[in-house]
Amino acid sequence: MGEVTLRGVRKSFGSTEVIPPLDLSIEPGEFVVFVGPSGCGKSTLLRMIAGLESPSAGTIEIAGRDVTHAEPADRGLAMVFQTYALYPHMTVAQNMAFGLEMAKVPAAERAEAVRKAAEILQITELLDRKPRELSGGQRQRVAIGRAIVRDPVLFLFDEPLSNLDAELRVQMRLEIARLHAGLAATMIYVTHDQIEAMTMADRIVVLRKGVIEQVGRPTELYSDPDNIFVAGFIGSPRMNFLPAAITGQGQEGHVLVDVPRLGLSGLPVPLRDPGVRQMGEVTLGLRPEDFGHPETGDRTVELTAEVVENLGGTAYLYTDAGRDAAIVAEVPRRALPSLGETVSFGLRAADCFLFGPDGKRL
Amino acid sequence: MKRPIRWTVALTAALALFAGLVLLPFWLVLTGSVKAPAEIIARQPTMVPHSFTLDHYAKLLAASDYPVYMMNSLIVASVSTLITLLLAIPAGYAFFRMSFPGRETLYRAILLAYAFPSIVILIPLFGIFAKIGLIDSRIALVLVNVAFALPFAVWLLRSFFAGIPAEIEEAARLDGGSPFIVLRRIMIPLVAPGIAAVAVFAFVTAWTEYVFASVMILSDAKRTVPVGFSGIIGQYQIDWGLLLAGASLSILPVVVLFAFVGRWFVAGLTEGAVK
Repeated sequence: MGEVTLRGVRKSFGSTEVIPPLDLSIEPGEFVVFVGPSGCGKSTLLRMIAGLESPSAGTIEIAGRDVTHAEPADRGLAMVFQTYALYPHMTVAQNMAFGLEMAKVPAAERAEAVRKAAEILQITELLDRKPRELSGGQRQRVAIGRAIVRDPVLFLFDEPLSNLDAELRVQMRLEIARLHAGLAATMIYVTHDQIEAMTMADRIVVLRKGVIEQVGRPTELYSDPDNIFVAGFIGSPRMNFLPAAITGQGQEGHVLVDVPRLGLSGLPVPLRDPGVRQMGEVTLGLRPEDFGHPETGDRTVELTAEVVENLGGTAYLYTDAGRDAAIVAEVPRRALPSLGETVSFGLRAADCFLFGPDGKRL
Repeated sequence: MKRPIRWTVALTAALALFAGLVLLPFWLVLTGSVKAPAEIIARQPTMVPHSFTLDHYAKLLAASDYPVYMMNSLIVASVSTLITLLLAIPAGYAFFRMSFPGRETLYRAILLAYAFPSIVILIPLFGIFAKIGLIDSRIALVLVNVAFALPFAVWLLRSFFAGIPAEIEEAARLDGGSPFIVLRRIMIPLVAPGIAAVAVFAFVTAWTEYVFASVMILSDAKRTVPVGFSGIIGQYQIDWGLLLAGASLSILPVVVLFAFVGRWFVAGLTEGAVK
């Protein structure tokens, strides 16, 4: 069982601070996903945990031991790289056994460990092949197998699926989730794909510019985001953000909001923190799937369909050709609007999020 | 892409012309070495030998010092190659992997070694070797050969090391390999084509080196092929048969070396490692 604790970990390259001081604690057996746009520092953070980069300040503990200055191999972890990083001149079996060989494990035990891992990943028939004879998905399995044989307390995955095609990605996603359930090991997984984060994580760490924006279970991040960045990053298609204004206080921690784009005024939206006193310009967030049937909800809004994206199972209506200003609403696939048609939706005030001018959730 | 037929013809003709320029002298040397003396100096040269004899070879190996020269050359070239590799591999890796002050400057500066013609440093080097008693020693030739091959070898190997994806080395570090193990078990096998190229370069440079060998070596028993062989020519007269047989034989070790390391020049060794 592994537990990872970061205290005041900071990283700068030269005078550029990539990660300002950061604290994070990961529980034993947890599957934690670091997610964020490219350049947000998630890979750097992972590499510091792995020992491939050394932090500029702060301490890193794994399983209760301070490993801040320990060699990567002495940290009891294994890492799967985005590019697989297999040893091209060795067979699959040699690739998987190399770490054990370095740890001076006897040959018979090595062979047994490799055989077991190969069975788990169903790559037994590939053991004698060289990496160049394998497909992308098979290579990724071998890379995971190389991590498994070492029986680490902690698995690190650095965007392991981004080189695979869409179908294989879904398959490997399930496989890694199954592996986590089977091994009950602590795993840290880095991705820029919020779907991977949502589907696999016990807890998600959303990063932006080296700063943790929010940590929480996938459903928490989805239904209760701390700020406009997390709200926009989690969920696909992304949340609609509309300029709005608070015009007054309602009852029981509600504020009255005008949303000119939707033609709404005096919408009583609940505040997360009823104590907040905020007036004036705000941003209203509303997920595409929260546009409901016109007979449900507190208010009715009308949207004109300029583009309709039909995904088969569901469909999305887009207003306004200008992409930034477009409002996206989910429409039932049985009632696909034609282009230019105006559609009525019911809207529940409780589904709306309010964000202040600084992006913080109100 | 489909190529018009006239282009194919033109390219083939050009290729044949250049191939002929390179290969014809070899052909004349090889065939000349088995011709009877009268045919070699015949007014009308023959492309295909009319006579066949191995007398020149027999004479070369039995009645001259050629076997001794050959042995000297083999020793000097092999030891030079070995030492060049032993120094260039760690140096190239260090230039690629370690960061130390002045690394880039030093890396660019090493090729400056080739800015000076060997003749320029011949006399000072002779003076130094005379003081430390290395004149008329094959060690002197090895030192000179290594010194000349090393800058290019280091420079070439570093670029080969740089072609290996960083993740492979990181994976090996995570697997617990010490820097020496990573170099030996992971990196060296992956830069094998570079090592083969350096080995061939170092061997051929040493094999054909003439200027230093002619000055540093005084006794006949320590001469290498290029120097010793030139002595055979001029002694009393030009024995063309002997000359051509000697020239043919001197190509042999290089041909064998190429055949031996050729299998290392396999393209795409790192294929399958990443992506």
